[in-house]
Amino acid sequence: MLLAREDREKVPSAFDDISFDLCRRRDNVIMMSADLSQYVDLYKVTRELPEQYVDVGMAEQNLVGVAAGLAKAGFVPVATTFGSYASRRCFDQMLICMGTSRNTGIVMGFTPGIASPAPIHHQGTEDLGMTRAIPHATVIDAMDVTDLAQALDLACDTPGLVYMRGHRGSTPRMLDPTKFKFELGKTYPLRTGSGVGIISCGHASQWAVEASDLLVDRDFDHSLLHVPTIKPVNERELVDYCFAHDQIVTVENHQISTGLGGLVSEIVGKVGRGPRITRIGVPDSWAPGGSITHIRRHFGLDADALATRVEEVMQ
Amino acid sequence: MRSNSDRRIKTLELWAARMRRNVVDICMQRGGYAGQGVALSDVGACIYFDEMRPDGKGWFHDRFVNSNGHDTIINFAAMAELGIYTMEELRTMGADGSPIDQSPIEGARGFEITSGSLGTGVSQAAGIALGERKKGSGKRVICLLSDGELHEGSVWEAFMFAAHYKLSNLVVIIDNNDLGATGKTSDVMAVEPVKAKMEAFGFRARQINGNRIPDVLDAFDEARAVRDKPYAMIADTRIFAGISVYQEAIPFAHFVGRDGRWDTGFLDWEPGWREILETIERLETELAALD
Repeated sequence: MLLAREDREKVPSAFDDISFDLCRRRDNVIMMSADLSQYVDLYKVTRELPEQYVDVGMAEQNLVGVAAGLAKAGFVPVATTFGSYASRRCFDQMLICMGTSRNTGIVMGFTPGIASPAPIHHQGTEDLGMTRAIPHATVIDAMDVTDLAQALDLACDTPGLVYMRGHRGSTPRMLDPTKFKFELGKTYPLRTGSGVGIISCGHASQWAVEASDLLVDRDFDHSLLHVPTIKPVNERELVDYCFAHDQIVTVENHQISTGLGGLVSEIVGKVGRGPRITRIGVPDSWAPGGSITHIRRHFGLDADALATRVEEVMQ
Repeated sequence: MRSNSDRRIKTLELWAARMRRNVVDICMQRGGYAGQGVALSDVGACIYFDEMRPDGKGWFHDRFVNSNGHDTIINFAAMAELGIYTMEELRTMGADGSPIDQSPIEGARGFEITSGSLGTGVSQAAGIALGERKKGSGKRVICLLSDGELHEGSVWEAFMFAAHYKLSNLVVIIDNNDLGATGKTSDVMAVEPVKAKMEAFGFRARQINGNRIPDVLDAFDEARAVRDKPYAMIADTRIFAGISVYQEAIPFAHFVGRDGRWDTGFLDWEPGWREILETIERLETELAALD
């Protein structure tokens, strides 16, 4: 389902089309923003479907509260903001107003983790851990336009709180939309092999594919598993995958604690005697600001460094 | 304008008295937010037995969001009269394993939201009001919060939103009892002037004696007539208003408890219980005399 390198493309302002298409197909969906619409690629919905757009101003607690209210009036709210605010500023509202409800409430955190150039305050590197700690919540970290669009569509039919990370700006298409079908909890093998198993989610799945391309060129035996659903994940699939490898490397655009690496460690640890798990991501430190290229290099998350780190776990 | 007939007011006074009886009955078991429940029974009676329109299916066309979980005892007290809860169930409130929560979770019979985390209800009420307006359902939304809850910044975000979107189907009732969790609101963190603040935030606002039923009804009448902005009813109440012996015994009590660790008050319940039963008897007699 992974597109060949030459078939991958970048889709400009992808979420503009995804959100517009979603709202046209589902007239009960309401896209919401806290005065950041353009900054998360919301253009067409705001102009052409104003009845399906609500802006609350710079007030994220109210964003999620109003969204939960709209849900209680029969709508499907999609509350968008940056991941840092979506998680940290209104965590109580997510948990209380949406997490305890059966009504679908979707919160989308854009420029998550180090995908934001503004250090610390705009970088939500702990959102996956926070939200997956909420009972019955659904947590999704999609990797490209294909799974993002499909996951958002499915989220609209998922009861309770759905926290999703978003992609803004030019977003890659790496998964073949004719072959990929998003299912909640399902894990997706993008490359098969043995030796080192690389497990990734979200933006980090893009990085993992880049590193994997290099490892393929170097004939390094490995495989790749994309895990877009952080919660509820198919634990059996993860366990089977991990035990089929000598070493596991998790790669995430997140603190290496509490996120994907934490999740995989918890699940494998329940079985015991599993492979060693090396967690790669933001290593319990503040990320610098700057371009994502710069920040990835800073943390050894660029394709070259990542490929080398994967090779090193076998040494 | 509905007529403020003696019968209508007397009937509501009787409902309020029965709600007070239910609040005391529940709190006599294991303590509880008795002071607020007794004080808010007049407002609560007006909400449940006058303002909200029945839907003909055992519930209401309009929607009541109680943001302040501590005040939800009035929802229970009213719903006991409506037959949605039994007093047997409600008397288990506060007991380990009881299905009745002092601050209920969404999904509990008759409750719109999970209350208890102060400041989260107004935004949801505003969202519901916006959604109902989008649907053209004609439903009105009533949101009750407390003056202490005004300390939470998120309520002001919600007020700003409600005014910006001209949610004239939203009535916010602020229980202005000058009481927080540990002391007088005016000492801990002053909130006055509440009416001026609400007006500055774009509401039509009226300050009333929340223990005078005609005042509450007048405010609801006024709210229904406003077309372009949300409405704020600032209801001045006094803890335990309506049961004089309790008011004298504990003029200040956030929680009336049993074991003396963090409670702010203890009560000899019997005199108040007798007083409220006498009040009910008197009101029933007076109402019968109006026939």
